Amino acid sequence: MSSTYHGEDRVPVPPADAQQFTTVCSYCIVGCGYKVYKWPLGKEGGPLPHQNALKADYRRQQPEQAGTWISPAMHSVVTEQDGNKFNIVVLPDKDCVVNKGNHSVRGGTHGDVLYAPDRPTADRLTHPLLYRGQSQLPTTWDEAIELGARVIKASLDKWGPDTIAMKFFDHGGGGGGFENNWAVGKFFFTGIGTKMASIHNRPAYNSEVFASGDAGIAPLPSAYLDAELADTIMVIGANSYETQSIYFLEHMLPSLGGGTLPLKQQLLPGEPHARGRMIIVDPRRTSTVAVAEAHAGKDNVLHLQINNGTDIALLNALSRLIHEQGWHDQEFITRRTENFAAFQAANLAQNLDEAVRLTGISKAQMMTAAEWIAKPKVNTARRRTLFLYEKGLIWGLKNYENVASVVDLALLTGNLGKPGTGCGRLGGHQEGYSRPAYPGQRPPVNVDEIAIKGGASKVFWVAGCNPAGGTLNAQQFRAYLAHRTALVNQALDATSSGSLNDRMTAVMTALDKGGLFLIVQDIYPIETAKYAHIVFPAAQWGEMNLTSINGERRLRLYQQFMDAPGIAEPDWKIMARMAQRVESAYRAEGKVEMAARFSGFTWTSDEEVFRAASAGVKGAQEDYGDTTYAMLKALGTNGVQTPVQEIRQGMPVGTTRLYMDEKQFTFIPSAWPGFPPQIQKLIDDPRYPFWVNNGRANHGWQTLYDDLRKPYVMGRAPFPHVEIHPQDARSLDIANGDLIELFNPYGSVTAMAVITDSNTPGHIFMLFEHPKGWLNSLTTGYVDPATTIPYYKGTKAGIRKLGELPGLGEQLSFIPTNRT
Amino acid sequence: MSEVSRRHFLKLGACVVGGACAADALPSLGQAADNGDVTTLRTTLPYPRLKLAAIGQLTTEHELLTTYPDQASPVVLVKLGRPAHNGVGPDRDIVAFSRRCSHMGGALAFHAETGTFHCPLHYAMFDARKGGLMVIGQATDNLPQIELEVDTTGDIYAVGVKGLLYGRQANVLA
Repeated sequence: MSSTYHGEDRVPVPPADAQQFTTVCSYCIVGCGYKVYKWPLGKEGGPLPHQNALKADYRRQQPEQAGTWISPAMHSVVTEQDGNKFNIVVLPDKDCVVNKGNHSVRGGTHGDVLYAPDRPTADRLTHPLLYRGQSQLPTTWDEAIELGARVIKASLDKWGPDTIAMKFFDHGGGGGGFENNWAVGKFFFTGIGTKMASIHNRPAYNSEVFASGDAGIAPLPSAYLDAELADTIMVIGANSYETQSIYFLEHMLPSLGGGTLPLKQQLLPGEPHARGRMIIVDPRRTSTVAVAEAHAGKDNVLHLQINNGTDIALLNALSRLIHEQGWHDQEFITRRTENFAAFQAANLAQNLDEAVRLTGISKAQMMTAAEWIAKPKVNTARRRTLFLYEKGLIWGLKNYENVASVVDLALLTGNLGKPGTGCGRLGGHQEGYSRPAYPGQRPPVNVDEIAIKGGASKVFWVAGCNPAGGTLNAQQFRAYLAHRTALVNQALDATSSGSLNDRMTAVMTALDKGGLFLIVQDIYPIETAKYAHIVFPAAQWGEMNLTSINGERRLRLYQQFMDAPGIAEPDWKIMARMAQRVESAYRAEGKVEMAARFSGFTWTSDEEVFRAASAGVKGAQEDYGDTTYAMLKALGTNGVQTPVQEIRQGMPVGTTRLYMDEKQFTFIPSAWPGFPPQIQKLIDDPRYPFWVNNGRANHGWQTLYDDLRKPYVMGRAPFPHVEIHPQDARSLDIANGDLIELFNPYGSVTAMAVITDSNTPGHIFMLFEHPKGWLNSLTTGYVDPATTIPYYKGTKAGIRKLGELPGLGEQLSFIPTNRT
Repeated sequence: MSEVSRRHFLKLGACVVGGACAADALPSLGQAADNGDVTTLRTTLPYPRLKLAAIGQLTTEHELLTTYPDQASPVVLVKLGRPAHNGVGPDRDIVAFSRRCSHMGGALAFHAETGTFHCPLHYAMFDARKGGLMVIGQATDNLPQIELEVDTTGDIYAVGVKGLLYGRQANVLA
């Protein structure tokens, strides 16, 4: 039988004099605090409390949840640029109020992803690569920047700013942060001035919650404390046990289990309190549903197993029921909102029978949900309901109305600006957005369609994302990338003995004939980089200082604790290198105005960029004002919640929860729009009988860029999985672990079958991103025309069984994950 | 057999075992250290070879609670009734695991119908047939598995541990 991965059976303990740093998880929005210990290889701390940096007694078996246990995946040995080797331990911080020592499987395995030349991270990008002689060969920063700057400048001069397209990270946490984001925005918006900009997981440059913004609500208005104080938590389109794990475990579950009752009584006296309830809207019975039920009892959890794409009908039906019962918050509506009449005409007109038919949710269940959301506890006390939504809603049928319908429900019930309430994103990445204004309009241009497939852009710079697999309709996207970049390859091949000028001429001729010059900037050689002419090696989390906020706007400093590999550099430095080269080229031509657009990139430290970036967050939920690195260093893993109100006695004063003032909001009318033609065509075609829902899973983070280097994780997820109902599996003769093909007119992909009743028959769920099978080969090109946000969560496909992969069924576990 | 393990083995003789007995058989945390005879070492020591049970004591799908490699480390021995990764015995279905969750040390419960271990703290789940593979949960390693050998008389010996036991810097205490 196959073996199962197990890590080492011992770890070294940091000595008392180990260097210590504070940081935050590089992954999800929750942003758990971590402490980092670093000390020379060959030295170890002792078992007595005074002999080690954790002040723990390692002679004793530690009790559960001790917060001083180092798992092997939290440790690594790294080699710095001078050749010296160090032990590094990345340990969850028990003094951080976010995680209290807890950690997810993702954050708890950071030891495995630190660069080490003798571990699976050895394939980090260490040097710039240039397309040369039918391959990508190492080169200097000077040569790579020179060629890139010349191509960018020549395209800009000859064809204008929109011929330079970009798809970049815009997030916080690993690879992002205010520092890198600011430099990126300054280069593309102030410097180039392109509208052909897009954000890592999207075809355009947009907010994922335009509707919330239009209503006057920032994406992250609440604090994690509000989950502890809520009477009802409504989770829409999120599997929080697996994707916001520690928010769910440390803040939501205690509320459901009654553990926060004393806190409720203390902070909210004068009203009745009970253990919290949870409503979960999801087409799947997820592990989140199972865990919530186990912890709170089935009577306190309501799972609304909704049909794909029908959220608007459900949420509007709930609004209607609440309004009919008179459970709406008239005082709040009158005092703090406008546009109620439009909401009434659109949302409250939702026919209830039609909603039942569309959603698959019974009227009785809807009524229970309405009660849990809004039926007053007593005459004088409304229920405190916290609405939390994520990709299931955001990437649902129609982004704008999807988000509007939950925002409206929150406004109808007065659940903003009070303890235990709110309406916002759960979040995916952390946030760290600060950029000069995007020069485009709303709705933003679809860069995938217009710039890449349509040929409007000739240079494409991709950083910190992997659109070859991750963007919508990805199979077609790859076809265009392959074809257009090959034209440039051929031009370069034909001039491989020529000078830089010769190569430039050849490239420009190829671009004129439909070629695409591709620059990819990343930490790993990702799929998209295979097509690139220039590859820039970026530093990652831990290799630079960066700052970001989490899902309750908690701003912290993520300290640098090790060198980047080779000559890799932080993204902001790469942008600065490019900007300075373009600036000097314009200056040499005497073009002062153009040179000025690329000026101001002379920062010498991470903190200088952080300070410059404060200009881009003024008045936003991220506003950190005059906060400095020194202040954040002093505040450690607890940081400060933005917006920062003022600096008092040398320290920033933050904001626990937004809208405690008299802020005004706007109802956004949002009626259920029906399915768009692309989707309706698939619905009507019997060759594609399965609805393909998709999303993340507990073990992996995003494209799995780090997880591919974590042997523990890959032992669990060597292939992407598809959850399929037992009834469908029987009719297709599919067994657990079988390799199957999913196909539709947009593309095909293979994946591994997992038989579970988490979905209803006819509905399957596939892992969103895995380099051994990109779900997005199946998604249509449809986007909400109002926001240019894709309907990633809904496509349809046929299924073919390919067969058994020997050994796989034995190696893996097929016990359903949605049991406790 | 060492004094410690013999003493514990006798205790188990009266306790072969359903769920109710489980908590009683779990050594209290820190007990070994309080005894003053247990020290975590800075380097890996050879694992002791300790008899855990005789095959005849095991009933399919019933846990036998014991400890390994010392009294402060609760482990569970179970005959699953189906072949398992690293399973021993004539049916290759006898396996043993740490009873401390490899996430944060919660005391695991065995569910016979699925052959899984469950943590009450944060709902991690591990598959006993698949070498302790984490089915779902927040642990950073699969559940530490006790390496077993069966001698010609049918006695089951523990001879090592795969993976680091929760709450320790090294598995073997002295």
